[in-house]
Amino acid sequence: MTRYIMVADLRRCVGCQTCTSSCKETNATPPGVQWRRVLDIEAGEYPLVRRVFVPTGCQHCDDPPCMEVCPSTATGQRKDGIVTIDYDLCIGCSYCALACPYEARYKVDDVEYVYGAAATATEVARRDQQKIGIVTKCTFCVDRIDAGTKAGKVPGVDPEATPACVNSCISGALRFGDIDNPDSAVSKLVAENKWFRMHEDEGTGPGFYYLWDKGAL
Amino acid sequence: MKQMNTSRRQRSWDLRAAANFIGGGTGTGLLMASVVAAAFGPTTPVTMAAGAVFVMLGLSMVWLEIGKPWRALHVFFHPQTSWMTREGIIAGPLVAAVGAWVVLGLSAALPLVFVLAAGFLFCQARMLRASRGIPAWKQAEVVPFLIATGVAEGTGMMAVLGGSSPALVGFALAAGLAREAAWWAYGRGLARSHAPKASMDVLMKSAPAMACRAAQVAALVLWLATLSGVTDVALLAGLLAAVSGWGIKALLITRAAFTRGPAIAMCPVRGRGIGLPIEA
Amino acid sequence: MSGHTGAAKKSVPTYCYNCVSGPDLMRVTVEDGVATTVEPNHDAAGIHPADGRPCVKAYGLVQKTYNPHRVLTPMKRTNPNKGQNEDPGFVPISWDEAMDQIGAKLRDIRARGVLDDAGLPRVAATFGMGGTPASYMGTMPAFLAAWGAIDYSMGSGQGVKCTHSEHLYGELWHRAFTVSADTVNTRYIVSFGANVEISGGVCAVRRHADARIRGIKRVYVEPHLSVTGACSSEWVPIKPKTDPAFMLAMINTILHEAPRDALDIPFLRDRTASPYLVGPDGYYLRDVDGGKPLVWDEAGGRAVPHDTAGVVPALEGTFTVALAECHGPDGEVFRHEGVAGRTAFSVMADEMKDYTPEWAADICDVPAATMRRVALEYLENACVGETIEVNGRTLPFRPVAVTLGKTVNNGWGAYECCWARTVLAVLVGALEVPGGTLGTTVRINRPHDNRLKSVKPGPDGFMDTTFNPTDRGNWSERPTGRNAHRTLVPIVGNGPWSQALGPTHLAWMFMNEAPADWPKPTLPEIWFAYRTNPAISFWEIARLSETMAKMPFIVAFAYTMDETNHMADILLPEATDLESTQLIRIGGNKFVEQHWDHIGVALRQPVVEPLGESRDFTWIATELARQAGLLETYNQRINSGAALVPLKGEGYDFSLPTDRVNEIDAVWDAVCKAATAMLAGPAEAKGLDWFKDNGFFVVPHKRVDWYLYPTMVDQGLRFELPYQERLFKVGKELGRRLHEKGIHWWDNQLGEYCPIPEWHDVPGRWTQSIIDAGANPDDYPLWGITTKSMQYAAGNNIGIPLMDEVGRNMRGHGAVVINTSTARALGISDNDWVEVASPFGSTRGQAAVMQGCRPDTVVIPGQFSHWKTPFAKDLNYPTLNKLTPLSNATLALTDATGSGSDVVRVSLRRIEAPSAETLAVGGAA
Repeated sequence: MTRYIMVADLRRCVGCQTCTSSCKETNATPPGVQWRRVLDIEAGEYPLVRRVFVPTGCQHCDDPPCMEVCPSTATGQRKDGIVTIDYDLCIGCSYCALACPYEARYKVDDVEYVYGAAATATEVARRDQQKIGIVTKCTFCVDRIDAGTKAGKVPGVDPEATPACVNSCISGALRFGDIDNPDSAVSKLVAENKWFRMHEDEGTGPGFYYLWDKGAL
Repeated sequence: MKQMNTSRRQRSWDLRAAANFIGGGTGTGLLMASVVAAAFGPTTPVTMAAGAVFVMLGLSMVWLEIGKPWRALHVFFHPQTSWMTREGIIAGPLVAAVGAWVVLGLSAALPLVFVLAAGFLFCQARMLRASRGIPAWKQAEVVPFLIATGVAEGTGMMAVLGGSSPALVGFALAAGLAREAAWWAYGRGLARSHAPKASMDVLMKSAPAMACRAAQVAALVLWLATLSGVTDVALLAGLLAAVSGWGIKALLITRAAFTRGPAIAMCPVRGRGIGLPIEA
Repeated sequence: MSGHTGAAKKSVPTYCYNCVSGPDLMRVTVEDGVATTVEPNHDAAGIHPADGRPCVKAYGLVQKTYNPHRVLTPMKRTNPNKGQNEDPGFVPISWDEAMDQIGAKLRDIRARGVLDDAGLPRVAATFGMGGTPASYMGTMPAFLAAWGAIDYSMGSGQGVKCTHSEHLYGELWHRAFTVSADTVNTRYIVSFGANVEISGGVCAVRRHADARIRGIKRVYVEPHLSVTGACSSEWVPIKPKTDPAFMLAMINTILHEAPRDALDIPFLRDRTASPYLVGPDGYYLRDVDGGKPLVWDEAGGRAVPHDTAGVVPALEGTFTVALAECHGPDGEVFRHEGVAGRTAFSVMADEMKDYTPEWAADICDVPAATMRRVALEYLENACVGETIEVNGRTLPFRPVAVTLGKTVNNGWGAYECCWARTVLAVLVGALEVPGGTLGTTVRINRPHDNRLKSVKPGPDGFMDTTFNPTDRGNWSERPTGRNAHRTLVPIVGNGPWSQALGPTHLAWMFMNEAPADWPKPTLPEIWFAYRTNPAISFWEIARLSETMAKMPFIVAFAYTMDETNHMADILLPEATDLESTQLIRIGGNKFVEQHWDHIGVALRQPVVEPLGESRDFTWIATELARQAGLLETYNQRINSGAALVPLKGEGYDFSLPTDRVNEIDAVWDAVCKAATAMLAGPAEAKGLDWFKDNGFFVVPHKRVDWYLYPTMVDQGLRFELPYQERLFKVGKELGRRLHEKGIHWWDNQLGEYCPIPEWHDVPGRWTQSIIDAGANPDDYPLWGITTKSMQYAAGNNIGIPLMDEVGRNMRGHGAVVINTSTARALGISDNDWVEVASPFGSTRGQAAVMQGCRPDTVVIPGQFSHWKTPFAKDLNYPTLNKLTPLSNATLALTDATGSGSDVVRVSLRRIEAPSAETLAVGGAA
């Protein structure tokens, strides 16, 4: 079996938002929509303060609450763990967005351009990728994964088969791959480091592992 | 150490969505009350029709909110797990059953109306509870509260539209008290679950919430006054019982609907630094 | 390394060098002729230290290209009146008309002479941060070189916004225009505000991330918890501008509490001036025969010249020297008999004796125990005595470093910080060795592309360094540039970069109001501005803009309208990042943390066709040269290397004909071939077409060349530390020259020329500036400072919405960062509108209430408050640049290197949110 997951090494992440920007361009998301983003979270009180940069987005949960609530079956889950949205089925009710504990889902009701009134040449070129009135979220760049694997590439190893955010990550914080493959980089990272998953108590089984220290759990 | 607050107000559903819970709750409550009233004697079809209208108005407000209204039929595709689908599926038969009684006078439709209305209300309540991103909604006690307030609103509206009877007033008082109990349990549940402070503030401390609560208590007092024969203020009590419920639901769906917010369990170890746990 | 091409979709390799921490390699996806996405250039995996991944700014280039606000045709001003509130009345004109107008001016100037009656260049030019515009201006440097004297002294922030003192002292001491830790090897870094995770570029981010996983300890000393502070092992909040005290306390601890043998004695003895004997008047005791500094030969019991074969000099102590001479200023020679000479090391140790951690604790508001612990941890981690083999050469392994950030290493206190940092390195032998403190590149010394080759033996056993002369007769009494860099700042030298490294704020100040007995500089007759916006990025920006408005003829290479080209007479639209051609260097050792195992060149190519009438900068430069009648000289300059490398070398000659206009591609084809031939031999010469497919070309770069130490050993040279006899002497001479002219307004600065830095009340200078401005310091109780974000640092990208959108994910972006308790005391909540004011101006913005900031400090990140730049003018973000003075008050805040700091005492108060109308006209900030 294959189960794709994302590893975010919080020791490495510097909050540069390169992944955010790369995601936005790769997926042509409209202003304000960030399938991948990095949070800037502060903890503690002066002078004992910590600031942590937390890449987030759709966690591609084992048991996705979004899928459960979706009335149209637009939200689905592949055998490799990727949670998908069928844009032709989605009615844009946003129920899934409210069911997601990770605030990963977006809906844009009106066409909006980066510079306001008119579309740039890029926006014109990618007009067919506009998703107005339906819910969108991180796809783990599923089209890249599918095209890449079809061409014999390995997600998480070959850039052609790897999500854009991971390819772009300058600190090496974001890694992607198949956790069911014990030889994959992500399997080793998860095995050899301490990690947590966000809102573990929700029982959603998120596919996003946050590394925070060396050594097995 | 404690993490900063990352909770934020949801921006996905606005008053249109709240209208569904208002219309659906009051409408189904009204339908159930009407069925009960009809079971005890002749009754006006107005309240029954109004109940259906409330339900339909609520649903049409939702229709206005969804991004692809012409795909509305897709809402029926997922009865296996989606309470929204289930609510949608019930809506049609419910309206049909009401129509059967109001238009055709089929009294056999009455129990069906009751069951479907109750089912619709239950679906609505479960719909909120399934919204795992909003702690104030996913709280288990939201289900009895939504049902109780729906019934309290519906009986209140029954008094407004259909006139009151001691039985109805008694029933309304009971529904109001049930709502009070459910609200109390809901509040305790939220506190126990460490719901976002902002949600708690809006629901428990904000001026509109306080006004709604005051109206609910006032309704109880007025029901009691009416029931004890001091004065007949059932109309006002009904109005307060209904409108106060609407207010609370409007707050619950919009202003009080804060996300849980992203949270980390540990501060990472940077180099030879120290990793610190985050208080839950 | 193939170009991934398809019928309608292709991936084009190119580079981004929008900030000084690049260049970054990248690819751009083009669909049906339209650029859609930026991606890493994965071909560079294993070659580029960050595997070919560009930083976030590169991703803004697609939006930059298609910005509807671009200036896409040449324009001329129709309103002769200039000023913020004057409508320039720009109207489109043809390139011919624009070039004819500029050409007429240029020819007229050449006819009259390139210098005016005051001896100042009639043509001035300002380019943006750190020389990065040069990577976008094609062959413009050849035109500038062909022209001759040009005034580069009107900066856009250089001197007050850069790590200025580090540039100057760094190059003096270890050929370190910028300084970094040897991050890939080091174990312990004490960083005083060196915000490398923000401004160090992708190489720094990757190297430090790897180091964290490896187990480095980085202690971050800064008033607020920046991104780099966040990513450090420990944050030590320090009071602004008191960093010298912390560092002096570290030196004190190491010198006076740790055992001597914990230090790297051989390094101090053989590679520094520590054993040089200092005479009673502060100058080295010298051999009366050769004038060489003396050391005490312990075996022989006598003083001998420092380079005496086999001598093992005493590191510490006072010794009586029978006969010696001292060389004072202006060639004065004092002869001494039976004179006491104390080693420079001992002199330093004496001077540091009182700077205990307990002494520094109150000054810095940092516990003494913290400073002592950091000093001792630094010492423990230094691995004194250990070695490492690099490329077959055994070198000391000293994995500790101290790094300095902006505002720490510029302005008052920066001399002390730079000195202390470098002394902390030499005490444990950690200067220019694996794991230690490294220079990265040179700009004052030459050649710029190889700092090791810039090392030549100089006087007294040190590297040769050329100061601007201060002796009578050679001192540049009359400024040659409007900032008087040769007159006032000896250490900055007079190389191509020196003017821009001089006190560039002085040029703006003096053109507005000159100090007493100082001729007010003439305004340049033509001012070229490119990728620069001093009307926003400097200090007291409203006043600076008024000065700018007085300039008679401004030619701005304009991307969009902005606050500076609002004052222009001619706007020229250049084909920008993704639309034009250029070859630049990559790899080797470059700014900040660009340490590669490869060295080579990379091409920028037209990923898409230039929009509108915008034209390649090489075409523009050629046309300027032709108009000015300099075509032949211009072509000669290209041939001699002004476009990157000389076109002729051993075994190859790709020289261009000099008598004609050469096509853009012909120029770059020749440059591509010459550069590759130079790197790998003529047989490997690759032309433009090869580069268009492959993007870059590299050859291996030896890691041992990251370090200066082997070169110093090979040449038998010493680092000029810890004692600063030469600076001391130069300061004396400069003082004499200035006083001979009756100039006393630089006397404060002369005080910095001391042989061993002494603590003075550095932050007190900013408090005094409030008093000098006629205000009460109690009314300005907080420190205002600034910081950068990676989305914007030096990016020239304020008009790109993507940067703002993703920048907003970071707390504090576009806001005023305030400590939680301070905010509470002032009744300020997160997102409230606040006003921050100094006696020199005020700014408004929304509060970002955070725990990670000292209660006595507010931070205003970035440089915003635009009033003209499209998109940016609607952001309503605050700026510290409105609060920092650019008037004669600034002189007191300028140090001897001519640099200032982004620090000001401020008041803070909550205000009502500005009305929608105010916000709509961009008037809130």
